[in-house]
Amino acid sequence: MARTRFNNATIAGLACTFPENEVSTESLAMSLGVNAGRLVSITGIENRRVAPPYICASDLCADAAERLLASLGWKKDSIEALIFVSQTPDYILPATACTLQHRLGLSKECASFDVNQGCSGYIYGLWLASSLVETGLQRVLLLVGDTSNRISSEEDKSVAFLFGDSGSATALERRPATSHFVLGTDGGGAENLIIKAGQCRQRPNCVNCLRTEVESGKRSPTELFMDGSEVMAFTLREVPPLFEQLLGYAGLQRSQLDAIVMHQANKFLIENLARKIEMPMEYIPLSLQEFGNTSCASIPVTISACLREAVSAKSLTLALLGFGVGWSWSACTLSLDSISAPEIAFLK
Amino acid sequence: MPTRDQFHHAVERLLELDPGSLKGDELLESFDWDSMAVVMFIAMADKNYDIAVSPSNVRDAKSLADLFAILSK
Repeated sequence: MARTRFNNATIAGLACTFPENEVSTESLAMSLGVNAGRLVSITGIENRRVAPPYICASDLCADAAERLLASLGWKKDSIEALIFVSQTPDYILPATACTLQHRLGLSKECASFDVNQGCSGYIYGLWLASSLVETGLQRVLLLVGDTSNRISSEEDKSVAFLFGDSGSATALERRPATSHFVLGTDGGGAENLIIKAGQCRQRPNCVNCLRTEVESGKRSPTELFMDGSEVMAFTLREVPPLFEQLLGYAGLQRSQLDAIVMHQANKFLIENLARKIEMPMEYIPLSLQEFGNTSCASIPVTISACLREAVSAKSLTLALLGFGVGWSWSACTLSLDSISAPEIAFLK
Repeated sequence: MPTRDQFHHAVERLLELDPGSLKGDELLESFDWDSMAVVMFIAMADKNYDIAVSPSNVRDAKSLADLFAILSK
């Protein structure tokens, strides 16, 4: 298990941006002939923000970054590295981080790179950014976002109601602070949450771009396949021991945590995880009611949506848990102490 | 491992069926048995009986008796 402790990297601020376009579960359920009440009671998702075709994850992250840097009063040439975590980048190449460096007007001396991770991606990004800060950089910008609806079939009932689109920006700087990270992988689960075609293993063509009838509706091989039962089994198997390992490594008791911010997979799964890790739901904020499963950005989205005032005004000790596509998992404990947290914004 | 009656009660709660309505020989296709029900069954097995069932076994089940057999292994 990859375990790391940092002593000199801290989050200075965090911002999130969503597309303005809102889609309710009820309206989509009606068009797909699904029982909306049952769906909402299980997933907890009532509304989602869905990006129009002209808005990418990079656009949402860029907006969040601009607002965050202005709020912090950081000069753009003070950013020494930019990390973009996403599974919906602008291009196969170049790295979207390179285009974001230019677009945001960051220095040419800024290191920029992409990370392809989903549900576990925010904590992976924090881990990498903290590593860079711990080993010498002063300021790092972490941009994490996805437009998962762009790669999901709205005719596939297994995914059509789940995902919300969003982008986030997190600013890290060199300052004394302690955080602990535990990360892991089981690629044996890759087939359960996958887009099989469209990249180099199977290039897109006139056949694999066509949707065909599947058990859950219609989907093409260039769109997301998810086996929800395997996701549930994986999560119940891997995340509770991950949480125990994290607490043990960080030397923390449950009572010392102000909140546990989990990847917002769906409400039913989170409630079952809460039961398994023996934490009451009062300690586990949910943003999915209004924003859905926002993939790699779901943790910053939940902090912005549910804890913004608290983290702006005082110090909170948090455990963050990410888990999913890969299979990949990640967890960390850290403190957010009076950080800069601009209000959520919406992009037209 | 649950008794057959305990199992029937649990599935009745899961599918929001009338208590005592399950007999044991029902086919799953006669209920609202879909991918969400499969996910809920996996969570119920974990919660009620601390059993980690194989998702593929649950997906392949055709009858209530098949589900009971999964928990009985």
